[in-house]
This record gives sequence, structure tokens and C-alpha cells, in this order.
Amino acid sequence: MNSSSPVAPGRLVLAAMLLVAGILPLNVTAARAGQRVIIGTQLEPPILDPTANPAAAISEMLYDNVYEGLVQFAADGSALPKLALAWDVSEDGLTYVFHLKPGVRFHDGTAFDAAVAKFSLDRITAPGSINPQRSRFRAVRAVEAPDPLTLRVLLKQRSGGLLQSLAFGSAVMVSPHSAAGNALQPIGTGPFRFLRWRRGDSITLERNPDFQGVPAMLEQVTFKFITDPTAAFAALMAGDVDAFANYPAPESFAQFAADPRFAVFDGTTEMETVLGLNERSGPLRNVLVRRAISHALDRRAIIDGAMFGYGTPIGSHFPPANPAYVDLTGMYPHDVSKAKQLLAAAGYPDGFALSLKLPPPSYARRSGEIVAAQLAQIGIRVRIENLEWAQWLDQVYTRHDFDMSIVGHAEPLDYDIYARDDYYFGYSDPDFNALIAALDDTVEPNKRTELLQQIQRKLATDAVNGFLFQYPRLDIWNAHLHGIEFNNMLGVVDVSRAHFEGPALAEHSDEFGVRASRTRSLRIAGLGVLAGSLVLSGLVARRFGSAYIVQRVAVLLATLLLATAVVFAMVQIVPGDPVRYMLGLQADAGTVAALRQQLGLDEAPLHRYFSWIQGLLHADFGLSYTYRVPVDALVAERLQVSIPLALYALLLSAAIAFPLGLLAASARGRAGDAIVGAITQLGLAVPNFWLGMLLVLLFAIQLHWVSAGGFPGWEAGFWPAMKALTLPAIALAAPQAAILARVLRGALIDTLHEDYIRTARAKGAGARRLLWRHALPNALVPVLTILGMQFSFLLAGGVIIENVFFLPGLGRLVFQAIVQRDLIVVQSVVVILVLAVVTVSFLVDLAYALVDPRLHAAGGA
Amino acid sequence: MRRSPRNSSLRAGAIITGFFVAAALLARFWTPYDPRALSIIEKLQPPSAHHWFGTDQLGRDVLSLVMVGAQTSVGVALLSVVIGVFVGVPVGLLAAARRGALDELLMRGNDVIFAFPALLLAILITAVLGPGAVNAIIAIGIFNIPVFARVTRAGALQLWTRDYALAARVAGKGPLRISWEHMLPNLLGLLAVQGTIQFSLGVIAEAGLSYVGLSAQPPTPSWGRMLNEAQTLTALAPFLALFPGCAVLLFVLGLNLLGEGLRRNAERPT
Repeated sequence: MNSSSPVAPGRLVLAAMLLVAGILPLNVTAARAGQRVIIGTQLEPPILDPTANPAAAISEMLYDNVYEGLVQFAADGSALPKLALAWDVSEDGLTYVFHLKPGVRFHDGTAFDAAVAKFSLDRITAPGSINPQRSRFRAVRAVEAPDPLTLRVLLKQRSGGLLQSLAFGSAVMVSPHSAAGNALQPIGTGPFRFLRWRRGDSITLERNPDFQGVPAMLEQVTFKFITDPTAAFAALMAGDVDAFANYPAPESFAQFAADPRFAVFDGTTEMETVLGLNERSGPLRNVLVRRAISHALDRRAIIDGAMFGYGTPIGSHFPPANPAYVDLTGMYPHDVSKAKQLLAAAGYPDGFALSLKLPPPSYARRSGEIVAAQLAQIGIRVRIENLEWAQWLDQVYTRHDFDMSIVGHAEPLDYDIYARDDYYFGYSDPDFNALIAALDDTVEPNKRTELLQQIQRKLATDAVNGFLFQYPRLDIWNAHLHGIEFNNMLGVVDVSRAHFEGPALAEHSDEFGVRASRTRSLRIAGLGVLAGSLVLSGLVARRFGSAYIVQRVAVLLATLLLATAVVFAMVQIVPGDPVRYMLGLQADAGTVAALRQQLGLDEAPLHRYFSWIQGLLHADFGLSYTYRVPVDALVAERLQVSIPLALYALLLSAAIAFPLGLLAASARGRAGDAIVGAITQLGLAVPNFWLGMLLVLLFAIQLHWVSAGGFPGWEAGFWPAMKALTLPAIALAAPQAAILARVLRGALIDTLHEDYIRTARAKGAGARRLLWRHALPNALVPVLTILGMQFSFLLAGGVIIENVFFLPGLGRLVFQAIVQRDLIVVQSVVVILVLAVVTVSFLVDLAYALVDPRLHAAGGA
Repeated sequence: MRRSPRNSSLRAGAIITGFFVAAALLARFWTPYDPRALSIIEKLQPPSAHHWFGTDQLGRDVLSLVMVGAQTSVGVALLSVVIGVFVGVPVGLLAAARRGALDELLMRGNDVIFAFPALLLAILITAVLGPGAVNAIIAIGIFNIPVFARVTRAGALQLWTRDYALAARVAGKGPLRISWEHMLPNLLGLLAVQGTIQFSLGVIAEAGLSYVGLSAQPPTPSWGRMLNEAQTLTALAPFLALFPGCAVLLFVLGLNLLGEGLRRNAERPT
């Protein structure tokens, strides 16, 4: 009886194989279902109407894609035809006649004609207009529509920059029928139309089938908001996004540039990053103080520290790429003693304290820390306050409640903001205003250049702001994605010609990528486990009677029920309302209440608990609050990564542990044992995520054997997928292998002391035969228990490893769900994992009973 | 029969652990550089005579950061063991003293906590309470409770069969008083071993939680977050990932050796 063969492990392996077979997609040929692209971007727009809000993020996503203007910017800042095919300017420069494109329709079906264009332009200058570029159109006297395809703009005085002004996002063409609703439901004439906005997550556009020009090649475009630089890096590596516009982590840009899976663009933008100084009151009113600050700033250090060398130093508010640029960076060289002298001359020998309010982007936060340290050197004590965008817009931009801020001015040709008295930094100078007026009145190019240079010098002389650097344009995209256009004066991500070429790529973890077959595979896997359990239960029941099985099942169910209660209770006290999160701050009470009702959140907690449990019994895990798809579909997709990873790690762990354990046991007390002991001590102590990082450093970055993370999907083929899982599996397996090896060694040594082994030895069995034939099968009992525990540990413990390797597994799902307050996903995933743990330990218990019948005699403890 | 080992584990473990605890204590008063002082000109410097462990992306001295990070690590792990001991030991003693339904209930409750994927629950707890060192202590501490309860119960059950327990009962002492006066002192060795093991698991858990941003928040330095920040910089400055990771590895190794040494000491017949 003692040397019973390990029959149960065989069954376990069978169950595991069923599990894998069920999870892996059976149709490897799955082609890309239509063309869909996900583009990461840093900023979420506050609203979607560029004629009512200056946020650059609105134009970035919607200009040229959804909205179109009469003209658009060329790369050099001149105007190109768009909805206006051509235009004539009168001799005196006071009349512009535009010839409009025929046959254009808005997404809601209304026609675009001269009357609509007149409406759009009149709206900008109308009394009460909140158009952010309103002041650019102050020269306009009247707009006329003599016939449907002709638009006439009459000016009071000459306006040198009128055509450029029409290329701005705030001058797009809107329909009188829909203009009022554009903030939430943007309607334009572009190749894409708005589909949905998921607050805090993404905006999705779909192809406009009625587009009058060449139709877009992509079916859908999703802009996903990712602010955190590390998260942006992770999203690209993991393939969560196909591209990243304005990549916020310059420190890792070079790594992408060297990676053949990606294409990159390293250019410049129209964005001047400045240390904005509030000159309305206090020491900052004094130009000497502002000059002292300019001397204290070390632009090179800021660019190196905050931007890792990407970015161009500027000495005034003007982009270096513009032909009229003058380099004024030498006007205030970095000079601490000079700065201190100026402060003393201004009457502040001992310095003073100022607030520095920073918006969320990393360039602002990182520059802020450095600027604070640099100003401290001249005695200015800086209090850093990190604000969310909404707070920043309110406190700094609107209420001017700040001393200093760091922000990028993204709009092209925006030097005229210094002529606005109510602008946030509060600069007001008649000489400067005269320069701007003169520029408006000048059409002749050479004279314009001269005026632009005077403007730059004036701003630098007055040290209006601390001019830091011209923001670099860093874009990264999947090398198979062609035709995406990033370089544009407005920072627009133009996707009208974007499309995929080359081999089929991984499907996205977007809700539409979740196919029904995956949910089915989850069910199949569940049935596989169930069948395996039944077979095993039958075997155990035949040998020990059904009472034993009933008892084990009762314990299993009780544990599960308790677990659901605990998880549900915990998730209820998570602060933060998912509905508020989904709808944003502006949502009114009625909308909130309606959505709460729709999601069933208005029910009493106990009622919700029972309906959740009821659903669980039918394998219905509920509907994700954020994605509005069944949770099991989300989970099934992620399990395709997590289960194979756990199994792979388990196999590796066993493959490492068995030789080590056998070696240590057979060489007990000798050198081999000591060496194995040392190795396993190290294995126990190493944090697996750190081991993962070291593996990446060695095999991905130094040797280039594998990629530094990400998962190509099983669609890419079995071996590429396994290759991507290899390093994570090793990192997960190492500590487990150490535990397993120690258990195996201990078990083997214990067995070797037992009577039957002594008998066998007395009968003349060799040491090798003793170990393999007699000790090992029995030592497998405790090893089996450990293996069972380890599988569930590996399944859940992959959470952090998935973050190291950017794998789209369960761990990332849970993290995203926690951040988005998608509680139903969190509670269901935790319960599924608990189910896995207790099921595995149940199966192990049964297998244990089969292998070692003495257990039952002892009462099944 | 059994060779009495020299117990080099105990010595090595005590030295390494002592070293880290000393470094953490020292960091309260002195570090080579101010761990919060930025110096962009000196950013990402490889290890040198001035900066033994180099400097990070903002020019901070990595050695100073690692030293202050040791404080976070020791603090979180130690306090979570304290939570486990203060709740788990009384539960275990009570279960052993009373037996019956109470025992069954406590132990089944224990089973449920054991059945949870520990890391995931820790993440859930920090998500509920908000990220931070205190909440990390609570999240890790909760998992120490059933461990100490189990160990205490098993040890106490054995002690109840001893003669002196019987003698005490005959002398009219109540089960709780016996637990306090006789069981607890005799369990201290066992608890010290388990405490060391849980301490080392706590160090790894804290590193993991702070790696995913759920433990101590900036500007408080922590090893896990240093590793996280080093991740996008691995191509530029691999040493940034090396030192905090080595710190975790060595500290845990030291604690494991100490635990093993203590266990051997306890097993050695006296």
C-alpha cells in the first residue's frame, strides 16, 4: 500500500489540460475584425466643443477628424484649403471671398453652405460669445453669404493673420441645428463622427460613411487618456494602445526608437512651456524680480532633468521652428549671484515665499520640482501645490489665485495672449499692445517678420514669464500602423489616412474585441474542471464512501459563501461613487439618479448582494459599470494570459525543484546539499517582480533576445505567445521552485527513514533505486499539496508580475477596475480567484486521499 | 544521534538583520545626503566615491534613499507583525483553551482568510482605505492574524497535555489564567520563529505593494517605489533597479536565516 503509484497527479494534469484546451482560442486564424485603432493621449478634454473651450485636447482629437474649418494650417504656418476650396483677397486687404466645397454634409445630415459658414463666424464675434479666439476676429465688420457656395468676409481694418485665425480649432464650421450640443455630442463635417465619451477613460470616433471626400480607412478610433508616464510606457509595451500622441515619458523614448516593433516621431511643437508669473500684485509686479527669476533658471538643467534632453530652450514666447524666430536665450544667462543682486536691488535681499501651482502633466510636475530647487538658491521659498486640471483652470486660469505656475501654451501664433489684460499672468503694457495692433495691420511679409521679432524682444526684456523650453513632439506608434499624421501646428492627431498593414495583430482588449467564443471557452473550462472533479470524486467516493465527499463539498461551499460576503462587504465601503466617476463632475442629479437606477445601484445593499449571488450561481458575474459588457467576457479574455502563465510557471517550478530536491536529499549533509540550500535560500528571498526586472534588463535590453514586455496574443501563434510568457514565468517560478525544492528534500529524507525503506535497503536495493522507486512516490504526497497551493498562488500572484511585463492578464484588469471604481469587476475577479483556490485545494485533498488512504482513517483532518 | 549544528544561520541572520535595522535607525538622524535634495546636474550618475549607489533621475543620492527606504520597510513589516501577534495570539490561546464550537468557528474563519489570494486582498484593502503606509500595515497585518492564531493554537494544544497544565487546573486556575501564565511564556520561542518569518514576508509584501503604488506615498522613499520609478529608466541607468532590489533580497535573506537559526535553537534539546 505504501508504494502506491501516483495516479492522482495524472488526473490533475488531465484536468489542467482540459482547462488550457478550453481557454485557448480554437480559431487561431482570427483576422482583425475591421480596422480599429486605440491611441493613447495625455489629456482628457473638459468638453468637446473647440468653439467654447481653449483646451488643446479638444483639437488634438477632434480637429480634422470630426470638425473641419474653412482652411487648415500647413506645416510652415500658412493656410491651406479645406472646406473653402479657394479664396480671393481684395487689393485693400479688407474683403475676403471664399469659394466653398459643394456637397458637404454634417454628421446629422444637415447641409453645409455659405449660410452655415456665416452662422459659424458670426457666432465667434457675437455679443456674449465665449469663443477662446474671439479677439483674433475683432477686425471683422460683417460676414455675407451672397450664394450657397460663396462666403464674403468684410473687415474694418486690415488683418494680416485672418487666414491663420480661420485655421484654428475655435473657428471650425458648426451647424445651427447642433452647435448648442457640441460640448457633449460633437457634430462636424469630418471623416469621423463621434461615437461615445467614457469619462476618465476614452473617446471613440467611428468612420463617417457619408463623408464627401476620400473616406477614412479605419472603422473606429479610440483616444484613451493616460496621464502617468509609467502607465503610458506600460500601455504601449502591453499593446493596450497602438500609438501614443505626445508621449509623456521622454526618459524611455530612446528605448522605443530602438525597438523595431515601433515607429517614432521626434519633432517640435508650437507649445512654449513657461513659468507663468502672476504680475498683478506682490514682488512679481517688479520687473527686477522677474529678471532675477530669469537669471535663476537653468534651462539646460530643466530640459535635462524634466525632459531628458528633449526640448529646445527658449528666451521668449516664440517657437524656434518659425522663420521669424530670434534666439534670446542669452539675454538672462543662468547666474545665481546676478539674480541675488537684482533681488536685493528690488528690495528683497532675503527673498520671499511664492506658491507654485502645477497642473497634472509630468512635464509641469517634474519641471516644478527643479524650478523650486533653482529658485531656492536665490532665496525664493517655493510652496509646490499639485492641482488637478479642473482645479488649475479654476484657481489659476480663471480666478488668478496663484503666484507661479508651469504650463505649456500649445496654440500656434499665441503671442497675442500677452495683449489680453485678463489673461492669467496679468501682463499689461501699452507698448506691447501697440506692437500687436501694428502686426494686425501689416500684410507685407518682411515687415511682419520685423514686428514679430520686436514682439519677442519686448517680452524677453520685460521678463514677463520664465521662458523655459519649446515642448518636443514625441510620438510612438505600432510599426504596422501607417498613415497616422502627428506633425501639425495644432497638435492634431490626424487619423483620416491611418490604417494597418502587415500581419494580423492582436485583438484589442476593447469591449468589441471580446468575442462570444471567449466567454464560451470560459464555460468549457469550467465544465472541464467540473468533469475532472466529478471523476476524482467518483474515485474517492468508491473507495471511502460518499460521506467523505459530502463533507469536503460542504466545507468548500461554506468557504465560498463566506468569501462572497466578505468581498461584497469590503467593496461596499470603497470610497468613491462609480456613477460620479462615469459621469464626471458636471453631471446633474437627475442623470446620476437615472444611471444609478440603470445599474441597479439604488437597491439596498442586501438586495444587491443576493442578486449578485443569484447571478453567480448561473455563471452570470454581472455587467461591468465602465465597459457595459458582462464581467465574465472581460475575465475570460484575461484568463487567456493568466492561466497559461500560471501553468507555465508551475511546470518551470517543478522542473527546477525536482532535480534540486533529489540532489539535496541524495547528497544529504554533503556539499551538494549545502549548495542547494544556499540556492533555495536566495530563491526564497528574491522578490519576484525584481527578478522580473533583472531578467528584462539582461535578456531584453542587453541581449535583445526577447521584447521587454507585452503580449502578442495567441492569434500571433503559439510560440511567439509562449516566448512572451517565458520571462514572467521564470520570475514567478523562482521563489516557488525554492519552496518546492525544500519541501521535496524534507519529504524525501523523512521517507528514507521509514521502515519499509530500511527493509528494501536490507534486501539489497541500491541507493538510486531506493530513491527513485521507493522514496520519491511517497514523498510526492506533500509535494502535491504544495503544487496545488502554488497554482492558485501563481494565478493571483501574477498580479504584480503582469505589471512588470505589461501583460494584459487578470492583474491589470483588477488594477484598472480599482482605479475606475468598477467594483463589480473587482468583486467578481476576487471571487473567481477564491473559487480557483478552494477548488484546487479540494482537488488536492481528494488526490491526497487517493494516494494516502491513512488520511481517511484519521478522520479526514 | 542528531548532530548539534554550529547554528551559523542564526549568527549570519542576526548580523544581516541587525545591519538593516541599524541602517534604518541611523537614517532617522543621518544620511550621506539629504534624500530630498534635488540636483539635476548630477542626475543618473553611476555609483562613484561621492555617491556610492549613484543618483536617481532627479539627482538624489540613492544610498540615502535606500537608507530611508529601510525605515519604511522595517516600520511596515514590524507593525504588521505586531497586529498579527496582538490579535492572532489571543485568538489561538482562546481556541485552545475553550475548544468546542468557538474553536471550530475561529479556525474556519481562519481557513477563509487563508483561502483568499493574499496579495489581491491586500490590494483590495488598500483600494478601500486609500494607498499609504498605514493602510499597507493593516493589509499585511490582517494576513498575519490567522498565521499567529494557528501557530499559537497548535502550540497551546500540545502544552495543555503537559503535566503542569493539569497541575494548574487542579490548583483551581481558570483556563484563561493558565493560558496567560503558563502557555504564553512557553510559546515565546515558537512565536519568535514565526514572527521572524512573517517579518520577512512583510518586507516582500511591502515592496510589492509600494511597487504598484499602494504603500507609502511620495515623497516618503520606499524600496518598491524606487524600483517602479527605475523601470522606465532601466535602459539608461540599470543601477537604479539594482540597489533597492538588493536591499530587499539581503534583508529578507537575513530574516529567513535568523528564523531558521531560531528554529534550530528551539529544536535543540536543552
